[in-house]
Amino acid sequence: MKMPASAELGGIYPRSEQLIELTRSYDRGKTERASVEKQIEQDTIELVELQDESGFENFTDGAFSWQDQLRPIVESLDGVTTGTRYSRWFDTNTFYKKPTVSGKIGLAPFNLKKFIHADLLPKSKPWKASLVGPYTFSELAENLHYKTQSELVSDLAHAEHEIIRRLKADGVSQFQISEPCLVYRPYREQTLSNAELEIALAAIRRTVDGIDARFTIQTFFGDATTILPHLLKLPVDGIGFDLFETDHTRSKIETKKTLALGIVDSRESNVEDPKWIAETATRVSKHIFSDNIVLVPNSDLKFVPRKVADAKSRALAEATRLVEERK
Amino acid sequence: MAEAEEWAGRLGIGNYHDRAKQLLSTENQKDRIRELLELSTIYGLRLFERTGLDNEGVGGEQQRVEMYEHVIRGVEGMRVLGHVQSFDYKYFNKAVAESKIHRKHPIYLQEFLDVKENAKGPIKVPITGPYTLVDWSFGGYYTGQRTGSSLKMQKQEAKREFLLDFVEQVIRPEIRDLVDAGASWIQIDEPAITTHPEPADMELFVEGWNETVRGFTCKFSDHTCYPSEIGYKVLAEYAPKLDKCSQLALEFANRDGTSLGVDAKHREGYRDLEYFIENGFEGEFGVGVVHVHDFSGQVPSDAGRATERNIIESPELVRDRLLHATKIVGDPGKIWANPDCGLRTRTWDVTYAKLESIVKGAELAREASQ
Repeated sequence: MKMPASAELGGIYPRSEQLIELTRSYDRGKTERASVEKQIEQDTIELVELQDESGFENFTDGAFSWQDQLRPIVESLDGVTTGTRYSRWFDTNTFYKKPTVSGKIGLAPFNLKKFIHADLLPKSKPWKASLVGPYTFSELAENLHYKTQSELVSDLAHAEHEIIRRLKADGVSQFQISEPCLVYRPYREQTLSNAELEIALAAIRRTVDGIDARFTIQTFFGDATTILPHLLKLPVDGIGFDLFETDHTRSKIETKKTLALGIVDSRESNVEDPKWIAETATRVSKHIFSDNIVLVPNSDLKFVPRKVADAKSRALAEATRLVEERK
Repeated sequence: MAEAEEWAGRLGIGNYHDRAKQLLSTENQKDRIRELLELSTIYGLRLFERTGLDNEGVGGEQQRVEMYEHVIRGVEGMRVLGHVQSFDYKYFNKAVAESKIHRKHPIYLQEFLDVKENAKGPIKVPITGPYTLVDWSFGGYYTGQRTGSSLKMQKQEAKREFLLDFVEQVIRPEIRDLVDAGASWIQIDEPAITTHPEPADMELFVEGWNETVRGFTCKFSDHTCYPSEIGYKVLAEYAPKLDKCSQLALEFANRDGTSLGVDAKHREGYRDLEYFIENGFEGEFGVGVVHVHDFSGQVPSDAGRATERNIIESPELVRDRLLHATKIVGDPGKIWANPDCGLRTRTWDVTYAKLESIVKGAELAREASQ
């Protein structure tokens, strides 16, 4: 069996130490916003160069201006505000501003720059954007308006569909829809019920419906073994899971969908050996086989310092070459 | 300097001018820092004494930059790797274990000796707990040693080895030094424990705690604040398993209402206290009765006042929180009045006012209980 592979990044990439210093200084009122913006551009350019040098096919801009994984979506919606309360991002030591849903959700005036630095991405390559999916958004928000989660998730799906349509029109052709709450429900005492699962899957179908782009549903922070068969039935191009949380040996799956294998650990600073990545990907393929494997970090690389993230990205790229050589 | 002089006057630090002159004339940078740290400690202790607190702690941890890096810099094998985002434009410097770890030098001992020399009342020594230090670090060396089982199991096994090394090589030697120097009460700060409410991590926390305190005869207590959205429920299940843990210092004021009243409706922020009683924890409680972060909201005039980014709780609000906690716990002798956490983000004026309210509120609660 052959196993073509490529590598991609997704989500929020860590800010450089220079950008961190500038944002801290800006936060204390000692630096102008323009200096921060200039460094964000520089960080973006460097990440684009890294992806180019490494031979990546689909390019991300690193989302350096995103304050958390939900903020640009929240700021693009009516009926939702960020409020002032910070909540823990799953079981990490990072926090997000908890969205408060206080009215009917709809799309507010759309601003591409909130999502992507399109002017700095190469025109000759496909662009990728990552958005938290409607189900996970609903789980992480405080709902003061909708009577049922089903209604909330449905309206979120409609709104995200509109955001994606506009991003597509502006040139983004690859989308990662992140749904970690399908596999890790932060601090919920019950597992995902069938009814909730159906709400989540229906929302994903609604989100991607009719948009001519490539979609991958990415899960992380939890074991995806039981959810994978459901995701495989979705009208999307790829599914992904976190190899550091998923016991892949319990699965026996063969699929024509793209498999986004979260194979470098964004929660640990050790840089994975490309040889280990390639061997591990081969081992996993004996249980979950796809004609097309994409090697990805298991979640946003923002949880490690920039220099570590850069090394991990290069290791991913090198591993794809090793996988190709094994064919 | 003007502010330091003003506070010297307010706190009765009589030899301020002599000490300031001495400090400024000290040429050796290391010596000057040492003198400055000792003087800062005296300021902290006098602040606590003036407000009437029953326990002086270590004078507000004046000799520590913060709770994580202060320890990490004293550990051989750990290297600060770089910043990662905490939220928005706030970051923390995260370290990695590059080899098997051990303590380079005593971390809290000099601070304790300064406190012991200058304190006029009982002392409690807070130290950062091993579970939190491990959880906030990259496993590095420990993670890289593992092969065989699933990647998840490898990480969990590495975390256990890292934790037990922190306990044996860093924390226990530190406690030994403190106890030998006369420390009688050590508070182990473990804010990270509510981050991972899964059984495997909770069992690991208990194992690390019990190994930490094994064989020592001083008083131990735990401080855990700002839990995840599940609150203290899971910690309450495991608290009775913590050997020698005679007190839990917990944060409640942060999520409580600001109206007076001792009933559950007014004191909704203290609901989680019930879980500890239901699960059979028999020790004392350090009950957080004042907020320690930015505050924005309404405050009825009898419950305190809002000033800029702060709430100054009235003694009556503190009293009602204590009386409500006493109703849940059942024994007023088990209740200590605490701030939710450290007050490092507040000014000294705000801190002074909050600590005074705690002391007066505790007096009112005692009167009401009699």
